[in-house]
Amino acid sequence: MTWHPKERGNTRRDFLMRSGGAALGLSSAGSLLAACGNSTTPTASSNAQGEPVGPGGLPLARPDNPVKLPLWEDPIKSGLKPETGGTFTVYNYPVYLYKKLLNEFCAKYDVTPQYTPFDNIATGIQKLADGTVQPDVMEMTPDHLDQVVAGKLIKPLNLDYIPNLQKNIWPELVDPFYDKGSQYTVPYTLYATGILWRTDHVKEDIAGMKQPWDIFWQAQAYSGKVSMLTEDRETIAAALLRRGVTDINTEDPKLINRAVDDLKQLYGICNIKLDDSQFQTVAEDHSWLHQAWAGDLIAAFVYYLPANQHPSVMAYWKAPNGHVPVQNDCFSICATTKKPVLSHLFLNYLLENGVSMSNFIDFNGYQPPLNIIEPDTLIEKLVQSRNASWGTKLTAADAQTLQTAILHKEDFGPKSIQELTLTNSGQALWTNGYSEFTTGA
Amino acid sequence: MYPRWLWSGFALPGVIWLILLFIIPFYAVIGVAFGTVDPILFRPIPSWNPLDWNVGWMSQTLTRLEPGGDLWDVFVRTTEYVVISVGASLAIGYPVAYYIARHARRTKALLLVLLILPLWISYLMRMLAWVNLLEVDGYVNRFLMWSHVINQPYGWLDGKPVTVVFALIYGYIPYFILPLFAALDRIDQSHLEAARDLGASPLQAFLRVTLPLSKTGILGGCVLIALPMFGDYYTPNIVSGAPTTSMLGNQIDLYFHGTSQPTIGAALTILLSLFLVVLMGYYIWTVHRATKELAST
Amino acid sequence: MTVATAHAAPPKPSTWTRVRGWVGNPWGRPRFLVGFTWLYMAWSIIPALIAIQFSFNSGRSRTIWSGFSTRWYWGDVDSVWSDADLHHALIQSIKLAVLDVAIATPLGVLLALGLARWRGRGAGVSNFIMLFPLVTPEIVMGVSLLLVFTHVFTFIQPSTTAQVLGHVTFSISYVVVVVRGRLFSIGRQYEEAAADLGASPAVALYRVLLPLLMPAIVASIAIVFALSIDDFVISYWLSCGAGCDTVPIQIYAATRAAPLPSTNAIATILSALTLASIIIGYLGYRFFTRHERAGGGLVGDMAAFDV
Repeated sequence: MTWHPKERGNTRRDFLMRSGGAALGLSSAGSLLAACGNSTTPTASSNAQGEPVGPGGLPLARPDNPVKLPLWEDPIKSGLKPETGGTFTVYNYPVYLYKKLLNEFCAKYDVTPQYTPFDNIATGIQKLADGTVQPDVMEMTPDHLDQVVAGKLIKPLNLDYIPNLQKNIWPELVDPFYDKGSQYTVPYTLYATGILWRTDHVKEDIAGMKQPWDIFWQAQAYSGKVSMLTEDRETIAAALLRRGVTDINTEDPKLINRAVDDLKQLYGICNIKLDDSQFQTVAEDHSWLHQAWAGDLIAAFVYYLPANQHPSVMAYWKAPNGHVPVQNDCFSICATTKKPVLSHLFLNYLLENGVSMSNFIDFNGYQPPLNIIEPDTLIEKLVQSRNASWGTKLTAADAQTLQTAILHKEDFGPKSIQELTLTNSGQALWTNGYSEFTTGA
Repeated sequence: MYPRWLWSGFALPGVIWLILLFIIPFYAVIGVAFGTVDPILFRPIPSWNPLDWNVGWMSQTLTRLEPGGDLWDVFVRTTEYVVISVGASLAIGYPVAYYIARHARRTKALLLVLLILPLWISYLMRMLAWVNLLEVDGYVNRFLMWSHVINQPYGWLDGKPVTVVFALIYGYIPYFILPLFAALDRIDQSHLEAARDLGASPLQAFLRVTLPLSKTGILGGCVLIALPMFGDYYTPNIVSGAPTTSMLGNQIDLYFHGTSQPTIGAALTILLSLFLVVLMGYYIWTVHRATKELAST
Repeated sequence: MTVATAHAAPPKPSTWTRVRGWVGNPWGRPRFLVGFTWLYMAWSIIPALIAIQFSFNSGRSRTIWSGFSTRWYWGDVDSVWSDADLHHALIQSIKLAVLDVAIATPLGVLLALGLARWRGRGAGVSNFIMLFPLVTPEIVMGVSLLLVFTHVFTFIQPSTTAQVLGHVTFSISYVVVVVRGRLFSIGRQYEEAAADLGASPAVALYRVLLPLLMPAIVASIAIVFALSIDDFVISYWLSCGAGCDTVPIQIYAATRAAPLPSTNAIATILSALTLASIIIGYLGYRFFTRHERAGGGLVGDMAAFDV
């Protein structure tokens, strides 16, 4: 069972009757403290109307419940000249933007490029809030928008400066449900969560299974070579989806507890491991079965799969629309910027077809939502990229496995499911559930 | 001959440094653990005044640490790993330290260099070295298959507790042997000669003279490696990565890296320190006593 | 005690007696112990040597040897030389170690002098506090420094500065222990003699005590440098992100995924730096104590380096 102080009451009493000593000391300390003031939910998780709200009291965006975020200040005026001189800082995940492209942009406006990475978006936002960093633009994820808008950390956009949004980007993401009117964000890359595996070790036809997520629960033969992502949302969502629960933003403790219990069965079944290096470990045969993002297959194919291995040793599966978590990352302008106009131009630059494609194919492997992308030519380009760096002589026909990792605009319709903002108490449930999963107990 | 204020003046910068960056930081952990969390950005809001303390986080954490709670199992596992590793370090380390201190003559200097050498090879490099050796096609598996101990490669790195314990022993044993060696080396040979002259068998001489005289060295060494082991989280991450081999440090690491409840990490840090303070106290007390003796001679 | 025959009668060559003899007899030839000790040494050193060997592998594998090459040091796109992250980490590690030495050594030497001779109120407590950093688990220190820099001394924040401050905090006590040991062993008679000959306190300190402390200071510098280079936990907790990554942090990240021999290469460079600092420190120590050689030799000197 997932821990919750109130539910633990029985266990505690049971134990007190059975033993004493040091444990008794701990128990009574716990009960003593429990009797004192106890506030561990940061704030009310619902508004005056009783609807659940996210951090800062902002509404929770869902594909079927689009949200227009409040403007905490006016966007900049149209028609201003870009600032020049000084530095231009991009705040992003490590190695998540092709530096050559950033350098070219900065050269055009005579500013010095700077790339400041963060470990994950949550710690990135904290450092921004602490004032440790003063970036101009940053990578943003829709599930943290409530936080950064309520915390006044990102600036509203003036789309006059960003014509490429309308011109080049999938209509589904031009006016997205999480940010109606694209007031704060432009989309950057796409990903879906599925399963990446080695076909030379895993005998099951995972994609053909009735419930492919079941493979983790019958992976006895691959014990020690099976991993999931180190993310509370992803691991628990996989267990929910396996049980047919498609509400992967649920805050129902029963569902979350059951998911965590399911995950804990994986200890005995396959001694599940947790890591985020699937693009490398699967390509290099250290891991055989791994929860993975779609872009991982592409990155594994282009950068990590040894030259003497055929692309078909790896396969990827993701569930059909409505059953697969699909997400997109965004870019935003930080409130700390001294160059708001240039920042707008940078966002527009990122959405240029050539720039966006180069960033994808030549560098990070995560697909942008560009109208020009066609799966066939895309595979062709990826194969060329691999052939160029590994000296292989593959053809597009050799790499058909990549088809499964390519995302389509239909995947992002109102039917799609995404891991989105939770109420604060809901977030605590997920975190503690994941923590319990990582205890291995 | 020196002005009276001189020595306290010398000590002052160091003492201030330790107050600012060792004692106050610990209070910061307490403040965070008993504080609240900013509802928008999930940053801890420390509570410095004990009267305003919010004990909710601590109480949650304690409840999970009670027998039956999920963290209790992590605590038990951590303790098991540490106890086994310290025991094995003693079993391996004592004969080595004993030999070098008592028997090695011409080779003593060389052995001492070899004994100290691992201390100056990065801990993580030594872990990396074993990760290489323990790979499926690594030297260990190849040797074991060549010698027909096993027929197919063993998955040492597939999240095995034995690998984690092995790595802990390997990582920390040099820190154990050195103080033990120092203690054994200090034993006056004449004590042993006296025992033998009084008719003790070699074994008796060992059990009644050497062993008791090396007791401080043994305990000191055990404490010295047990303490960092209790706080370890990187060793299991490197050689295993499975939840089934995670230690308490892994939970602290988890809660401090991007979750909405860093307060639980702080509470765990405090509880771990409280648990270890006895060991720390013991070690410091022995060192303190030894220093006083040294100072008075 | 039993009858006094153990000396006279040669032990019967039964296995048990022999084993007992090996364990207990300080004058016999303990073959078991010899073998065990050398086996231990092999076990403790050889893996690192193999890791170093594979840093020179011409293939991409860290387990299958395919010939000698220096491509992982320079030349290859993933080599230490070409991989910006790796050599940035190396520079960061060296930067932290140098600053740590520069700050912790003087602070520690002064503190050692003060604590050894200060007899006022607060001396006992300070002596006591000073020892805590030596035994506090690093994760506890890392967490507490992280929280103090993000909530109390907020002008610092996790950064290179924070990492330096953290390194100094765990290094000071080592300096104190080493220097104080030396202080006790030289006693006060030299300074008193100097004072009798009319030296002022400043002169006694500078011309008499400081040279006498030199061996310990040199040893401290080497130890602090090595400790700082080797540190993973404090650097990790106080890191500002990729810009603050040190070599151990890089090794940690790479080892959790699937490292290349370039990881072995940078680990080799790191260990070489540590060893060099220790060897230089040791030679310095020998140099400054060259007039004090009275037996003991290497073994005696070693004592200065095992903290």
